Amino acid sequence: MFVFEPVLLAVLVASTCVTAKTHTWNFTTGFVNANPDGVYERDDVIGLNGQWPLPVLEADKGDRIELYLTNGFEDYNTSLHFHGLFQNGTNSMDGPELITQCPIPPGETMLYNFTVDQVGAYWYHSHTAGQYGDGMRAAFIVHDGSDDDDFPYEYDEEFTFTISEWYHESSVDLIPNFMSRFNPTGAEPIPQNFLFNDTRNFTWNVEPSKTYKVNLINVGGFVSQYLWMEDHTFKVVQVDGVYTQPNETDMIYITVAQRYTVLIETKDDTSRNYALMQRVDDTMLDVIPKDLELNGTNYIVYNESAGLPEEYKVESLDIFLDDFWLEPLEAQEAYPDPDYQIVVDVAMDNLDDGVNYAFFNNLTYVAPKVPVLGTVFSAGEDAINPLVYGSNTNSFVLEKDEVIEIVLNNLDTGKHPFHLHGHVFQTVVRGPDYGEESTPVPYNASEAHDIPENPMRRDTVYVNPQSYFVIRFKADNPGVWFFHCHIEWHLDQGLALVLIEDPLSIQSQQNLDDNWKRMCEVNNMPYVGNAAANTENFLDLTDENVQVKNLPAGFTARGIVALVFSCIAGILGCVAIGLYGLAATDDNPVKLSQDLGIDEEFIQDETSSQLSHNGSKDTTEKTATELLN
Amino acid sequence: MVNVFNVEIFFVVFRETLEAVIVVSVLLAFIKQGLSEDETVYKRLRKQIWIGAISGFLICLILGCAFIGAFYSLGKDVWAKSEDLWEGIFCVIATVMISLMGIPMLRINKMQTKWRLKLARALVVSKNEKKGRFAFGHWTKKYAMFLLPFVTTLREGLEAVVFIGGVGLGSPATSFPIPVIVGLIAGISVGVLLYYSGSTLSLQVFLCISTAILYLIAAGLFSRAIWFFETYKYNQKTGGDASENGSGPGTYDIKTSVWHVNCCNPETDNGWDIFNALLGWQNSATYGSVIGYNIYWLAVMITLYLLWFEEKNNHLPFMKNLKLRQLNPLYWMKGKNKKEVSKEDQEKLFEQLKSKEFANKLAEE
Repeated sequence: MFVFEPVLLAVLVASTCVTAKTHTWNFTTGFVNANPDGVYERDDVIGLNGQWPLPVLEADKGDRIELYLTNGFEDYNTSLHFHGLFQNGTNSMDGPELITQCPIPPGETMLYNFTVDQVGAYWYHSHTAGQYGDGMRAAFIVHDGSDDDDFPYEYDEEFTFTISEWYHESSVDLIPNFMSRFNPTGAEPIPQNFLFNDTRNFTWNVEPSKTYKVNLINVGGFVSQYLWMEDHTFKVVQVDGVYTQPNETDMIYITVAQRYTVLIETKDDTSRNYALMQRVDDTMLDVIPKDLELNGTNYIVYNESAGLPEEYKVESLDIFLDDFWLEPLEAQEAYPDPDYQIVVDVAMDNLDDGVNYAFFNNLTYVAPKVPVLGTVFSAGEDAINPLVYGSNTNSFVLEKDEVIEIVLNNLDTGKHPFHLHGHVFQTVVRGPDYGEESTPVPYNASEAHDIPENPMRRDTVYVNPQSYFVIRFKADNPGVWFFHCHIEWHLDQGLALVLIEDPLSIQSQQNLDDNWKRMCEVNNMPYVGNAAANTENFLDLTDENVQVKNLPAGFTARGIVALVFSCIAGILGCVAIGLYGLAATDDNPVKLSQDLGIDEEFIQDETSSQLSHNGSKDTTEKTATELLN
Repeated sequence: MVNVFNVEIFFVVFRETLEAVIVVSVLLAFIKQGLSEDETVYKRLRKQIWIGAISGFLICLILGCAFIGAFYSLGKDVWAKSEDLWEGIFCVIATVMISLMGIPMLRINKMQTKWRLKLARALVVSKNEKKGRFAFGHWTKKYAMFLLPFVTTLREGLEAVVFIGGVGLGSPATSFPIPVIVGLIAGISVGVLLYYSGSTLSLQVFLCISTAILYLIAAGLFSRAIWFFETYKYNQKTGGDASENGSGPGTYDIKTSVWHVNCCNPETDNGWDIFNALLGWQNSATYGSVIGYNIYWLAVMITLYLLWFEEKNNHLPFMKNLKLRQLNPLYWMKGKNKKEVSKEDQEKLFEQLKSKEFANKLAEE
């Protein structure tokens, strides 16, 4: 036995070395013409190497990725995030600008170099401004072993379908109009169309009696969508890269950034074709224009000569699969009482510039001057002090291997899909839709909550209107991880927080290479120092980036001055009217009765009384009387 | 409250009623003084006056209802589309109307003179014309005591209808009946008071107070007009009706805001709409609305000073030959400058009327 063990080990090591490949991709961003909805051709869609839609990237578990991204824009920065990948040990490759890197300036190339140790459906997208809404996003599929051999379920063929909303205008124009005092309610722009695999009315050619593995990815930046099929069912086997116990459903509800891998069994009969429907969750739209197509019909085609199916409608949209009750295949008990609890309240409100912002605990995320990861590396011992990451970045420092609980109370009346970088988390509690309540219902820990034994794990989960969720995870992946609403508009509004996980391990186990530093240098952005770029005193945040000040409450000095002035004007005006009205003229009543010749005695009496009232006018009156007599 | 009682309408009705009542009372006083000895003639003429006044009133009541009814059934949809813009325009119209009618109310005694003058002129002038028995002039003279109150009430009534239309354009139809009725009652009461009391100081004080209220309303309306225009512009840019979404942040343009309190919104909160109608209250005041309010009062005060100065010195300050009414282009267009009756002529007319001889002649016909 002793003799064989090292041999066995050597064989194992050798086999991993043989199977692990390195994928080298060279991509250059640029604007291309595209007309995915067949209605309007845009000339500012973001493509890679002049192509759009972007390529679906595929790798096997354990593969190395070397993706060279060249910024081919003339005026815009860019960045790339691999959504759902843990980037364990390679935090600087995660992508969000001013969190783990400086944005890639025009003409520069950044190497994204990391190993994929997960399996399932992921996606990649720009983490700069609204660029992924302009097309800079696509699927990233990781197979479980070569040819997906280790995938735990049988299937014949694999497909990947993306869904998203589509705008006819560029985010370059949409964002300024959205983040404007003329959009005081923070109404998100209404998309012009909803795409399936970057087109409308997509045709999926299938063969009878087959089992298809289908990766469904919402690569949109705003609305959730429902998916259902005519006479077929989805068997959910994986969400956000986590295998689940098979769960058969007629309808899937998929928020932006979520992924569902499903098995679909085809019929043995090829006599007709079937509809695969998509529908936007229109409760997320502030207004529904008359010409907006909320439903999209796609076609499951068995037989090309059989004709395309009609739109297939359902009675209710409430029958969708509740992902909260999905059970991971690899069971993991709910983490016990957390070591560290972060409670955040989500709210939308206006600041003094009239713009509507989104807040975690009354703070809207404002990017620091130095990428947070840069601060981690330059702060030394101070890296464990959350203060160095700025007062307006919603930063929390997590200690190594702590169990973290995030309690999120949604004070807003909308649904929000929240995404955590670098982890999957257990969805421990999710409150029901309290949208009809007069006030939001916050999470109450003392109440009994039905915590699943083997809670769902995923990286993007939605919170119901005016409700809450509780998620838990273990701080076992050192890095700076963004936690934000994946609705791109809400991220623009600042609905984000930063988790700095085990900063001392980041310092000791990871490093920043020259290519990474060059991105900052070319941008003239500092990459050392605290959030205010102070390299001397890390606790001095003078001149850090902060949010616009709050709206003044009620009356300010100028308001009081204005009100007092108006009151004085009103009073003076009334006094003037009184003075003028009481200034008796030669047309006084006495003279009038004289004009009419009303009896003399009466006049005499009245005159004397009038005289006593208006002493100064007696001359005029006398003259009038004399004239008439 | 504003939906049932439109203050502007009340004041319009009040003013027009008062004017009509003054004419009637002047006529009644005239015949009573001139013809009280001849019981039958006096009674006949008195009947004429009352029939004239009441029939004029009834006709304009019918016309008014029809007019306003048609107004609302035809126009409502057009205005609803850009409500803020129309409300602003209506506020401007109402401001102008109230401003023009308010100050003359302080000289209600002048109105009496004016009407007595008109009456005297009508009678004396037609008297001097030698015309046939069946000529129009003769007919009008014979029924003068019917025609004068008839025409007056009709004229004042129609004026009221037009004014109500203008002032109440922005309000719902339900806000009309009560202020119209209350305005009628108030106008008649004051008119009667004027007739019997021979006008006292307390009446003048009453007029001052009511006029002051009227101008407070007008200043508020002017401020609201500007506020509505600004809201219209803001709503065009936001693509929604922001201030009707409530009072919170995001319902107003922060860049033009002078003060903003998250309550007391006259468009949504009960009670504050009265405050808004009476004093022009806004929970979200803008530079435009505040400055507009103050400028309005400044204009009113300057106008009052000029009027007062002219009354005292018979011309405007610094301009010996200029009177305020001469600044009005209509004054020249209507040729009023030629028709103006001098003080002496006025006295002469009254002298003629006063003579018993004339009154007796009138009775004979």
